[in-house]
Amino acid sequence: MKGHLSTQELLQKLPTQVEAGEVYEVHIQQTPAQFTSGVLESIKSVETAGRALRVIRQGRLGFATTSDLDDSNVVIQSALGSAEFGGPAPFSLPAPQPPSGVQYYDPAVEQLTEREMIAMGKEAIAALQAVNPTVQISVGIHKTITDVHVRNTSGLAVESRRTQLSIDVDIQRTQEGDILFIGGSRSSRQRADIAFGPLVQYIIERLQQVDRPAQATPGTMPVVFDRGALATLFLPLILGLHGRYVLQGASPLGDKLGQAVLSPNFDLIDDARLDYAPTAAPYDDEGVPTSRKALIAGGVVQQFLYDLRTAGQAGTQSTGNGFRGGLMGGSWNTPPDIVPGTWIVPPGSQSLAQILQGLDEALLVESILGLGQGNMMAGEFSNNVALGFLVHRGEIVGRVKNTMIAGNIYELLKDRLIAIAAEPRQVFGLLHVPALALDGVGVAC
Amino acid sequence: MRDRILQALERSRADYTDIRVQRIWRTVVAYEGRELDTLSTSTEVGGIVRCLVGGGWGIAVFNSLDSLPDRVQDAERIARLVAAEVHEPIHLAPVAPVQDEVLVSLERDPRYVPLQEKQALAERYNKILLDSSDKIVTTQTFYGDTFSEVWFVNSEGTSIYEQRPDLQLLFSPTAREGDNVQSPYESTGAAAGFDAALNHEALAEKAARRAVELLQARPVKGGVYTVILDPVLTGVFIHEAFGHLCEADFLSKNPQMREILHLGRVFGPPELNVLDDGYIAGSRGNYKYDDEGTLRRQVYLVRGGVLEGFLHNRETAGRMGMAPTGNARAISYRFEPIVRMRNTYVGQGTVPFAEMIRDLSYGIYACGAIGGNTELEQFTFSADHAFEIVDGQVGAMLRDVVLAGNIFETLRNVEAIGNDMRILNSAGGCGKGGQNGLPVTDGGPHLRIRGVTVGGRA
Repeated sequence: MKGHLSTQELLQKLPTQVEAGEVYEVHIQQTPAQFTSGVLESIKSVETAGRALRVIRQGRLGFATTSDLDDSNVVIQSALGSAEFGGPAPFSLPAPQPPSGVQYYDPAVEQLTEREMIAMGKEAIAALQAVNPTVQISVGIHKTITDVHVRNTSGLAVESRRTQLSIDVDIQRTQEGDILFIGGSRSSRQRADIAFGPLVQYIIERLQQVDRPAQATPGTMPVVFDRGALATLFLPLILGLHGRYVLQGASPLGDKLGQAVLSPNFDLIDDARLDYAPTAAPYDDEGVPTSRKALIAGGVVQQFLYDLRTAGQAGTQSTGNGFRGGLMGGSWNTPPDIVPGTWIVPPGSQSLAQILQGLDEALLVESILGLGQGNMMAGEFSNNVALGFLVHRGEIVGRVKNTMIAGNIYELLKDRLIAIAAEPRQVFGLLHVPALALDGVGVAC
Repeated sequence: MRDRILQALERSRADYTDIRVQRIWRTVVAYEGRELDTLSTSTEVGGIVRCLVGGGWGIAVFNSLDSLPDRVQDAERIARLVAAEVHEPIHLAPVAPVQDEVLVSLERDPRYVPLQEKQALAERYNKILLDSSDKIVTTQTFYGDTFSEVWFVNSEGTSIYEQRPDLQLLFSPTAREGDNVQSPYESTGAAAGFDAALNHEALAEKAARRAVELLQARPVKGGVYTVILDPVLTGVFIHEAFGHLCEADFLSKNPQMREILHLGRVFGPPELNVLDDGYIAGSRGNYKYDDEGTLRRQVYLVRGGVLEGFLHNRETAGRMGMAPTGNARAISYRFEPIVRMRNTYVGQGTVPFAEMIRDLSYGIYACGAIGGNTELEQFTFSADHAFEIVDGQVGAMLRDVVLAGNIFETLRNVEAIGNDMRILNSAGGCGKGGQNGLPVTDGGPHLRIRGVTVGGRA
């Protein structure tokens, strides 16, 4: 059966004993440009494609993938072979539904040329070099166009073209006894959202504050997690609100639906239909429309995240969070898994500066090392402070190094939440959050 | 395949061109609790073209072999665009052209082992975890096998075909009492055939036992301690603390880094040796040629406490006037090779474990590794579990032990190097520059280090 088959033809080739079938096909065009030590190093042009076939046969799930779109036979036989011993499939594939109303395509990203990408990078480098000619500057600009097709035997056939533009900039300042990194990144499906200016400005400001060393006092103290450091608090929550870990009885939140577990001031929203956000999509990778929903409202657990299979196991509906390439990475060659949309924490009323002014002594943490290494399921974190400052009543005393912060997010976000800042921004393309101030964080140094 | 690639190569007018094509077979069997979560097979073919023009790299990645000639032209076109921006031409350090075929002989090639046998094996291991205690609420049992064929050709006349097998097994039981949830893991891996996945029942039992034991463990109190690292954690420590620092792409373009990391600088005690090796029998960091066609060799990073060498690809070696070391590696055809470690370890010392702890009034014995992370100066690495050492005796179990170090201090604080060197194959991998999960191994003997900051609640 050599020869290209469309996704529709592939489904038609499935033997009649197959109860349900689904083809996911993706074509990805990527153009990353990389500048190292202030100079353009490489540009890469990526054109890849892959196909995943999921079948349900006698109630069992089979799954196989291939990058060879011309070889339908192998992928069909592999999926059927896997269904012979596969796990149960307590769900049916969705019938067509209207897409969620969200913007995920910008022709301006698609039209961005390599020369324009080079010019963007050079401009950012020139702005940093004007302030500090000796630091080593790395810049990345990454353009992606993704075509996603999902088709199943329930009559669903959806396709969408999504754009994404991501930038990152890092400086490394190297001195005897001190190697310093400061950086940042932004990502959007819309070109107008992407500019180096704010990232460069942040680096320039921080560079003026890093020369004075400071020493925190070991013990516990208020820690203000600036946005770049907040992933350390949110990764455990992703596990806690993940439908699979709820089902398995591993999530500490699993039996607490409708209960107050965090501070009454804390709200958390999962949104995969935030216009132009890197997670924005009309459907998830199983063809279910994406959604916006409160996960935690006033500290009370409202909702867990599900894909088709875990929803079937839990006796509930998919929340439209079934995407290929789960928390552990991967892409079309991994089965659908629960993946959050953008996580939004609504801003508070005080600015970050006001919050710091209100604290006698606090640690302001900008970035951390060792993300995801603790016992995340239990909510434990313990991280080295990569970039952090000791702050007295809003005045930066100096930079701390060789300092660890630790605690349990469920305890801290419940009883020790001091304030939520007023200035949210995107972090790692996944969070849209303001800085959070927590008291009673363990500090070792 | 080789002829097809060579024909495409001939189309390039770049100063240097290489093409790497990879065919990958992969099977994953994953249990989560009682559920068979994933049973998947995949096949993948793809390639990457790199063209160098006047010091600029143009790179093109593809799945469709039919597009190969076009992708070569695209890579060359991009390279010319980049070349216009480059101030300093790149000179690749010379590597003698080679024609070779590297075939592996496996104890049962996983491509021909029935899927059912792999599923049954994973199910059996998973059952050991599930049945070990009623406190085990769920599990993760992962079996993965990969067989890769890699064709590499370059415009200097090198043409290599290499087979690379890889096997991963991971056991992670989750024990729970109330809100106390503990998920330690044990894993193993090998550059070997299916039979290497057999007979790991004891490893699964060990993981299950520890999950339950950890429920009773005390969270560590944050502070600065003398710590003893077991061979697993020694490996992760040296990988994070020193291995990454020696990757020459961090310093070849950075004059200040080269000043700090000058050969001959003392970084540790005279007993300290750190090596990176391209071949240790059966180990996951193995291959004969790297992804630029450079033959593997062993590199001393530190000998007698003194910095002796770096890990290079052809570009960094050319820039620094040194010889390539065979450390140019890519996780797949989708990525260009960058400077990576292989099998990295601390060399054998002389101090028995009993002697290492004898005079310690209080310390922490940190065992197993969850992972590590570095920003070159500051780094962190985390233990799967730990014990306190009180008056020279190993005592109660501790949990949540994450350690911090600083490259300018921590290696100098190594007080004792054990006589029990081991190289560990785990299922984990190394991440750098967006290329995560590269098979590497690490290890060493027990190490005793003073003044290590351990995070924790006060």
